[in-house]
Amino acid sequence: MSQMMRSAARSVLASRGRFMLTGTAIMLSVAFLVATLVLSDSMRGRAAGDIAEALAGTDAVVQGVVLGEPGGGPGDPERSVRRSLDPDITERVATVDGVDGAASQWVGFAKLVVDGSSVGTGTASDVGRNWVADPALNPFRLASGRPPTEVGEIVIDRSLAGDAGLAPGDVVQVLTTTGMYDATVTGVATFASADAAPLQRTVLLPDKAVSAWLDTAAPTEVLVGVAEGADRAEVLGRLSALTDAEVIDGPDHIRTMQDAATSPLQFLTVFLLAFAVVAVLIGVTIIFNTFALTVARRRRESGLLRAIGAERRQLLGGVVIEAALVGTIATLVGLVCGVAGVGALRWLVGLAGITLLTGPSIVSTTSIAVAAAVGISATVLAAWIPARRAAATPPIEALRESAAEPRVVSPARTASGLVLAAVAIAGGAVAVARSSATWALLVVAIVPALVLCGPAIVTAAARGSAQVARRAAGVCGSIAAGNLAASPRRSASTALALMLGTAMVTMFAIFASSLTSAVGTDVREGLQADLVVTSATADFPTIDPTLAGRIAALPDVDEVAALSIAEGIVAGKAEAIGGIDPTALPTTFDLDPIAGDLADLSDGGVAVVGDDPTLLGGTLAIEFERSTLEAPIVAVVARSTGGFEAPLYFVDRATLDASVGRLLDALLFVDLADGAVADAEEDVRALVRATPGSFFETRAEHVANSGSEIAAFRNFIDGMLLLASFIALLGVANTTALAINERSGELGLLRAVGATRRELRRIVRLEVALLSFVAASIGIAVAVGFGWALIDVTGGAEIPSVVVPWSRLAVTLVVAVAAGVVAAAWPAFRVSRVPVLELAGRDR
Amino acid sequence: MSSRPDSTVVDRQSGSALSANADDAAAMLVGAVKRYGSGRSAVVALDDVTIAFPAGKFTAVMGPSGSGKSTMMHCAAGLDQLTSGRAFVGNTDLSALDDRELTRLRRERIGFVFQAFNLVATLTAEENICLPMTLSGRRPSVAALDQVVSLLRLGDRMHHRPTELSGGQQQRVAVARALVARPQVVFADEPTGNLDTRSGQEILGFLRSAVDLHHQSIVMVTHDPNAAAWADHVVFVVDGRVHDVMDHPSADSVIDVMKGLGR
Repeated sequence: MSQMMRSAARSVLASRGRFMLTGTAIMLSVAFLVATLVLSDSMRGRAAGDIAEALAGTDAVVQGVVLGEPGGGPGDPERSVRRSLDPDITERVATVDGVDGAASQWVGFAKLVVDGSSVGTGTASDVGRNWVADPALNPFRLASGRPPTEVGEIVIDRSLAGDAGLAPGDVVQVLTTTGMYDATVTGVATFASADAAPLQRTVLLPDKAVSAWLDTAAPTEVLVGVAEGADRAEVLGRLSALTDAEVIDGPDHIRTMQDAATSPLQFLTVFLLAFAVVAVLIGVTIIFNTFALTVARRRRESGLLRAIGAERRQLLGGVVIEAALVGTIATLVGLVCGVAGVGALRWLVGLAGITLLTGPSIVSTTSIAVAAAVGISATVLAAWIPARRAAATPPIEALRESAAEPRVVSPARTASGLVLAAVAIAGGAVAVARSSATWALLVVAIVPALVLCGPAIVTAAARGSAQVARRAAGVCGSIAAGNLAASPRRSASTALALMLGTAMVTMFAIFASSLTSAVGTDVREGLQADLVVTSATADFPTIDPTLAGRIAALPDVDEVAALSIAEGIVAGKAEAIGGIDPTALPTTFDLDPIAGDLADLSDGGVAVVGDDPTLLGGTLAIEFERSTLEAPIVAVVARSTGGFEAPLYFVDRATLDASVGRLLDALLFVDLADGAVADAEEDVRALVRATPGSFFETRAEHVANSGSEIAAFRNFIDGMLLLASFIALLGVANTTALAINERSGELGLLRAVGATRRELRRIVRLEVALLSFVAASIGIAVAVGFGWALIDVTGGAEIPSVVVPWSRLAVTLVVAVAAGVVAAAWPAFRVSRVPVLELAGRDR
Repeated sequence: MSSRPDSTVVDRQSGSALSANADDAAAMLVGAVKRYGSGRSAVVALDDVTIAFPAGKFTAVMGPSGSGKSTMMHCAAGLDQLTSGRAFVGNTDLSALDDRELTRLRRERIGFVFQAFNLVATLTAEENICLPMTLSGRRPSVAALDQVVSLLRLGDRMHHRPTELSGGQQQRVAVARALVARPQVVFADEPTGNLDTRSGQEILGFLRSAVDLHHQSIVMVTHDPNAAAWADHVVFVVDGRVHDVMDHPSADSVIDVMKGLGR
């Protein structure tokens, strides 16, 4: 066996170039995989570590009873929605036997404003909370200055202080749901040892300021410390006897907080992992192709080994060892590059507007082990089928001239591929007809169907295009088309990687454009206001509630309609509930009522977004943090106010305020008087600019921006796809180079009978362009069909209609073909450089 | 495992000495038929051939292109399957063996020399020579290795790769590989076909001495009468049948027979 080992090692060395390319594919896949794992570990590890450290002194937490559990989709809450606690809860907790410390923790919205503009951008949320006096229970630690004691004094986290260049003694402003307040920074704090709590910007207030600034009488939670020597379990048991409250054990609380902090990252991790899997898949196709060609080229050598007595097992072993060697070396390099490349990935992720935690990368042995195992085993598995083919070489092959791959495509193979394709199409059709996601699973059969039908498709495409190619490029075109048809299996497997890549690009393009359109449609069709004021973040309303009145007071402003949004539980599920002025809103935004009258909202009714007019007259129960609202359904509207967090239910603004406390406005719709001069618009713009937490948009801008969150997401996806496509193109270059090697005799003959180097290059380029075109078109066609079916079935209310971005897909097609030609440049150059005689006479 | 048939094997056309002492045959075909394709397009490459290749002798197989001489050798060596009939190496009936047993037989009891050198490019000369033995997990005895190396005068070339060797040297390595395990029979397929005259003569000389010095059995397919002249017997094959067998050939007598074949 050591002989096979040595032989394998030497054969890898002997064909360095080829294995470099194959290795690069594996290396990139592994690098991407390990970078993803390290990145998610680092983000999660850092956040989790900080939370565990900050909450270490808290033995238990008392919170309100759960109303609704967190959801998974966009717009769903990331943590449980809970009923408010009683205002006297902290005193009751403190009297429980064995409780050493009990501290009220109020948490609300507070945004730091410096010189009229708010501090911090990106996905972190703005949090206001009270400074907990007990250092054992306070998750924050003072880094400098002193704690806030009087109303108007605040402590900020170190990340805020860094961003705004603030130090103790500086004067700032704080925007909360109850208004804008002047404040003096008395200190800078850290969250455990981190600059800030994960994905939060925190302003810390004295207890005295809480009820006015955060508009809450009752604490959000009570932090509990158990007396030394007391039995923790017993104390917890006694605490659980408290009415209208839930006791959470310290470690459980830490875990919940860690999950909540890392769940936005989890979404990202899943996406990155999906791309890593695609990268590995494409890598596997390339490895398969390379080994298939290598094995085919070494047919005579395999035959010789068989003739002089190598067993099948030994030949199989030889190829597998070779694959393992390449896989191992490439994986090791990939691991190093991946760990080093985490920085690049952070940059990529940062492009999507997702700010990440700073700090060192956490490289766990699990990440390394998983990536290494995937890299090596993927290589070996991909080489397995070619290896088996090598082992099955009849010894007589040693004595024959190397036989080319059969030109005939096996009808059985094509037939079974067609059957699978039919299954996939039928599954998709039934799924669409019945709106059943289960049937949609059958769609997956399209992948093996493409693998099986590939050779037939390529042959047909080559034959079909032969005429066109001839007319376009003369005899070179004919030869190029003929070459494709000459080895349908190899052509098809080369095409597969590219097909996978373009199919992915297409699916995501359709998904993104459908989502953008879904988010934008309501705005496009319903918006009547001339101007719109939006919040600083899409997740949370940040518009100063006095702004609406101030805009309304400007000359030439006809109407200002404010929309506020709060979370409520409807039928056990957390939903966005909109609060509107039922007389002002309809003149600025057409909700398209199909039954009832929105004016009746002012009597405490609720409007439901939907298409079923029979809902009218029913009763709806909405549970809020402070109370439960039972309201008659007085209107059914076909449209919501648009955007990612569009409410599905509307109530009167006053009703909402009464149910959840005072809210900031999420959106303002401003209607100017007919014939108003441009000055009116400028006045509004100036006023909005001077108000932190609000942004000015014209109607056209608002329509265009209503899908912008997705645009950032799409940039990120595009970056990932670029990487996947790059790996696929490596495969095209590799396979083409190998195929040219294999055909060197034939190409030499062409040179001998007078083809110029330029013509030879042209043939190679044409061939690859043709193949890329076929692969990309099929990839796009399949993805359009099945992407459409999948989104139609699973999109639900969030993506009601499928939008195919044709122009984008056309660009994809052109780019795929162009990239294929670029990938062919190197092998084309190489083949044209080889002297005529050598090509004709090259033995292998 | 079936044993060798008792009946005396007789070449129907010549009744030559080759078939008389079948018990001493190194390899043998009995009623061998090899047909390629089926129906009307079928080509019969071997048409009921019965022949024995004597042990310890050097036998040449000659015939015009397409006569079936190569097919005959391939089937006798277990590289190809007969359509009907039986092939023996020593007392072993090849048709009774599965792929694994055939492989073992090839590496332990048969040696091969091919026209196109057929060395493994990534291995040194010495590793190529030892390959059949290392494949079966053995090492050749130092004595056996020394013997073939000195016989073939390869001493200073043992650590070179095939690409660093001349055609003649490569073929000497291939011959050494075939001989080192002292197989029951060596099959050589046009071993001098790719060589210049001098190197070809050298190779034939080595094969001859292996027979004379070590009683090696060798079967060689060739269409060069000068090469055939080194053999003890020449078998002439025409249209898939054994046409004639000649003992103690000379180049001239072989040429005469070939002329008589009328092709």
